[in-house]
Amino acid sequence: MLQISELSKVYNTPKSAKGAARGKSEPTHKALEPLTLNVTGGQVYGLLGPNGAGKTTLLRCLSTLLTPSSGTARVGGFDIGQEPEKVRQILGVVNGGMGLYDRLTGREILEYFAGFYGMERSKVQSRILELDSLLELGDALVKRTMDHSTGMKQKIVIARAVIHDPRVLILDEAASGLDILARRALLDFVKSYKAQDRLVLYSTHVMDEIEEVSERAAILYKGRLLEEGTLEDIRARAGEKRLENAFFELVKAEEGRLVAS
Amino acid sequence: MRTHFIWLVAWKELISTWRDKRTLQSTILTPMIMIPFFIIGLPLLLGSLIGGQQLEKQKVGVIGLERIPAGLKAALEGDKKQNGTVISRGVTLEKYSGDPQKAVQDGTLEAVLELPAVLPSTAGGAPVSIKVYAKLSSLRGQTGATSKVQEAIRAYSDTLVKARLERSGLPSQTLTPIVAQSVDASTTEERRSGQLAFIIPLFIMQFILAGGMPTAIDSTAGEKERGTLEVLLVSPVGRLEVVLGKFMAVTIFALLTALASMVGLLLSSMLAGVILPAVLGSGREGSSALAQAFGGNLTLDVPTFFTLLAVALSVALVVSVLMVAICVYARSFKEAQGYLTPLLIVVSLTAVLLQFSDFLNAGAAFYAIPILGAELAILDVVKGRLELGNIAISVVSNILASFVFLAWALNSFKRESVIFRS
Repeated sequence: MLQISELSKVYNTPKSAKGAARGKSEPTHKALEPLTLNVTGGQVYGLLGPNGAGKTTLLRCLSTLLTPSSGTARVGGFDIGQEPEKVRQILGVVNGGMGLYDRLTGREILEYFAGFYGMERSKVQSRILELDSLLELGDALVKRTMDHSTGMKQKIVIARAVIHDPRVLILDEAASGLDILARRALLDFVKSYKAQDRLVLYSTHVMDEIEEVSERAAILYKGRLLEEGTLEDIRARAGEKRLENAFFELVKAEEGRLVAS
Repeated sequence: MRTHFIWLVAWKELISTWRDKRTLQSTILTPMIMIPFFIIGLPLLLGSLIGGQQLEKQKVGVIGLERIPAGLKAALEGDKKQNGTVISRGVTLEKYSGDPQKAVQDGTLEAVLELPAVLPSTAGGAPVSIKVYAKLSSLRGQTGATSKVQEAIRAYSDTLVKARLERSGLPSQTLTPIVAQSVDASTTEERRSGQLAFIIPLFIMQFILAGGMPTAIDSTAGEKERGTLEVLLVSPVGRLEVVLGKFMAVTIFALLTALASMVGLLLSSMLAGVILPAVLGSGREGSSALAQAFGGNLTLDVPTFFTLLAVALSVALVVSVLMVAICVYARSFKEAQGYLTPLLIVVSLTAVLLQFSDFLNAGAAFYAIPILGAELAILDVVKGRLELGNIAISVVSNILASFVFLAWALNSFKRESVIFRS
């Protein structure tokens, strides 16, 4: 479902805001070092790492928002550089914030995004019904999102990402800022979505979330892939019982390697 | 390029903006109220104030009232009539012996006259002067007591001269062997548009900017700030389709505002011709000039209206795409407002400078400057100096500039450093 091959990203760090506006920059920041990874469908794959590890950069490259500096990736069989639109057609994304259009109702937002996937009107309505029963959208569909509670917003954000039933669903720090109920609803949905050979890429810095929803994960740190495999393997290789401790061990080793080099 | 995607993007922006009541207010109501207010309301208001001063009997102190000649007293206190109607009332004279400046400053008296020891009752001999203490910088003074007193003194002086000439057997025209007779060579439209006609392009420009601005900011910087732009760009819609959709929505609102300001202008033109002459045109002195100054006699025929509309539409196009191109750089709503401020200043300043356009020999090159050319063209249309060639140049230059700015906006939407600027 996902083949990443030697993909890297170097940001042109702007010298200043004015410089950025004028396009003046200097290539300094390696956000992602060449990374190779194969991920099969039918699972929730965890992407673990602290802030600045390169998770968001990787996900933005995979969702064709950023152009990799080198290497490439295939999502659902489509090359992100050669067939970006086909990639976006099979992709759903929930990013960190809960950005919605304030003056639109939940239903209008879902219809708006469905329009870009070429879905027929009747298909859109039946899909909204389906998502309503799955996510209990209720009032969120008829109220303007400026009047939504956090939980309602989160439900619409998820429904928006999966309105076209994407084969690959990317969640980037999707649970941040959620209350306990909304977080629970999100994690339950994520676990249910992996069926039918669909892939969920779940990116977070919260170990508990990964342990709950994923069987496999990759750990990124300062743009490098530190470890990849089943959670059990990762824990075993670090000689730790808890994923969090395994993570700290791996980071400590990496820091030692960086200092030595 | 898929037109239904462009429409879809535009639809979302339109519905979002439409549901914001403040936007509706600035887009449609403000121009339809502000323009009639300026053309009809302001002259009516000022006319009423000036007319009120004309009909009021102000208190004027006189130092040496016992010496005032009867003729001058009559000129100061007498009412002026036209067709049996009082158009300007005289002043009330009071004997005064204190500090004249203080009396005027504290408002006890509107003006104070200080008569000389000897005031001639006939012309001849050394001229004398009457000191008039008044607030010369005050509009109230200028249109009330000060002007009445000065006019009465001048009239009394003229009476003395006339009497002296008649006693000498000379006709009163002796002192004015040559008189300059001015003939207004302005076109009817120039006369009707008034000295403040430059305000009309300024209004139209301001309303177009105000109409498109909320959508321009919300659809670019606003989307970035909310984090929805990233989500939109992950969908299969192309960047060009996104830019065109947003551009279309901004243009529609700018056009709507342009149309509303045109309707405001048309309504003002129709109503001003009836209301202002009826209220100000007869009776009160000096008031009818106000209507003229504010463009209250402006007339818009159908070809003029549509020419103005065509120019306004081209301005709406270029301004809309320019705002989208600028706002996409901003990270937040607030920042975008800051970025647009210089544009507002430049457009307003050039429109204000149009009042000096008589000093400018505006050749075709000026009309080819986007936005400025349109401002000149609108002023020409209002003043009846309509030249289709210049109008066409300004419209075409705006359209060409729109394509350039569109390319700029598209380039910005494709740049990672702009979309993910943080």
